[in-house]
Amino acid sequence: MTLAVASGKGGTGKSSVSASLVLAIQNLLAVDADVEEPNLGLLLGAVPLESTLITLPVPAVYGDCCTRCGKCVSGCMFGALTMFGEAPPQVNDLCHGCGLCSMVCPEKAITEVDKPIGEIRHCRTSREGDLYEGRLRVGMPNPVPVIEDLVKTILDMDGSKVIDCAPGNACPMVAGVRHADAVLLVTEPTPFGAADLELALQAVVDLKKPVGVLVNRSDLAAADIKGLAAKYDAPILAEFPFSRTVAEAYAEGTPPAAMDTRWKSGLREIWEYFERKLDQ
Amino acid sequence: MKPREIVVISGKGGTGKTTFTSLLAASFGEAVICDADVDAPDLEILLKPRRINEQPFWGMQTAEVDPALCTGCGTCVAACRFDAIAMVDGKAEVDTSFCEGCDVCRRVCPEKAISLVDTRQGTSYEGLTNLGPMWHARLNPGGENSGKLVQFLRESALHTARERDIPLILTDGPPGIACPAISAMTGADLAIAVTEPSGAAFHDVERLSQVTARFGIPTAFVVNKADLAPKLAEKLKQEARTRNWKILGEIPFNRAVVDAVAEARIPVQELQEEIQLIRKRLDNLL
Repeated sequence: MTLAVASGKGGTGKSSVSASLVLAIQNLLAVDADVEEPNLGLLLGAVPLESTLITLPVPAVYGDCCTRCGKCVSGCMFGALTMFGEAPPQVNDLCHGCGLCSMVCPEKAITEVDKPIGEIRHCRTSREGDLYEGRLRVGMPNPVPVIEDLVKTILDMDGSKVIDCAPGNACPMVAGVRHADAVLLVTEPTPFGAADLELALQAVVDLKKPVGVLVNRSDLAAADIKGLAAKYDAPILAEFPFSRTVAEAYAEGTPPAAMDTRWKSGLREIWEYFERKLDQ
Repeated sequence: MKPREIVVISGKGGTGKTTFTSLLAASFGEAVICDADVDAPDLEILLKPRRINEQPFWGMQTAEVDPALCTGCGTCVAACRFDAIAMVDGKAEVDTSFCEGCDVCRRVCPEKAISLVDTRQGTSYEGLTNLGPMWHARLNPGGENSGKLVQFLRESALHTARERDIPLILTDGPPGIACPAISAMTGADLAIAVTEPSGAAFHDVERLSQVTARFGIPTAFVVNKADLAPKLAEKLKQEARTRNWKILGEIPFNRAVVDAVAEARIPVQELQEEIQLIRKRLDNLL
């Protein structure tokens, strides 16, 4: 099974839950798909072993062959090619790597070159487990190709996996959950947590996968998570109260399951719940 | 004179951007307020804007297949670089949450079965709060082009600030370091990064500071929940000194603050002293 851990609101405890799952379930492959800010490795004591570059195919224009017809410039939907005066078209950071420009060039003056936008790191955790981490290159605008490459890479591997997704409810989050078998949404019962959970539920219900909710810091406030979960037919699978010990340990890089046995047993039950759900 | 714009960012999510933005708004008394976290917009919960206007947000166009013309040849599926088209029951079907609207499929389709259509990606709102006019939005769940929506909100906020002669824009930014975060901070006069003393937040703020440096945005820091890990908070401050990061102040983890936010109230009384100090340093900086 591949379980995606997502949240809507940031900072509700996605990485804590993912890292704790790795401690609770044997031989679970850890995957960090929050490629803008990958943190799962910090909680698992991960050491990088090897790195694979992720690239985007961007155009390179051969000025000698280019007749300055401008078909690539007007065809590009992203404004990624500009042309001034006599110079051949210039490419900027807005390029999405769709390949349209090289396709429409009548002179075949455009070829594609690989531009590095990130990397996939294979790491070994302190407990001899494996972690695959996506990392967007700083300054690059689009994390989605890095997430997609990462997810493709790990889906081909054997065994069970947990994917720690990006926060929010936009395309980076969906790219992380889209190929998973089931989704666990981590929230907290604050007004912010509830508002963002509803958006996250709306984003994932369409994917028609088993969805469950974990309420972290369940005693911190009293927003109606139960009502929301019921509205979208997503069961609440665990509630963990706020613990200063857990918060302090997290700050130093220790996952909750290492501090609090309730996390370990609660997450085992969640894992079994999804396995049963998928067997049906 | 061009109004000043302060954008609140964090790298890591959940460090307290929105609560801090509301506190800053309360301390200034009047500003144009802009919630640029369009896929998880929460500032309205604390500022309770009275809505005066709303309009649909059209992102990039997306591809649409006419099933009557599609022969299921698969040329579009092979050409799409974004895995946004799949063959379902012998017909091409577009997943709009992954379609980038690049136009490649429409051009390669031998049957001319594909067209690009306008797609509503969300809604933007103009409102009035006790602390000033507010621009905010809601991206459809799973949607994209949030960078474009953020840009629209900031342009609208600037317009309102000029029109009403308000010298300050306060923008609550999104987490992360990619397109929406870059859109929220480019051209701002100051970025305030709200961080917390944890290994994760420190790692994230380090990447964030590389982004603000790359785009030439002056950056200052606020350490939230500073007392949760005093040793790490101290280390964070030391690192900040060696890197010449400006720290505006600290905010302790305080149950009363959580309770205020749970009641959808800005924790002004609970953090009066801390915010006064932060304001003083901020005014010196500006």
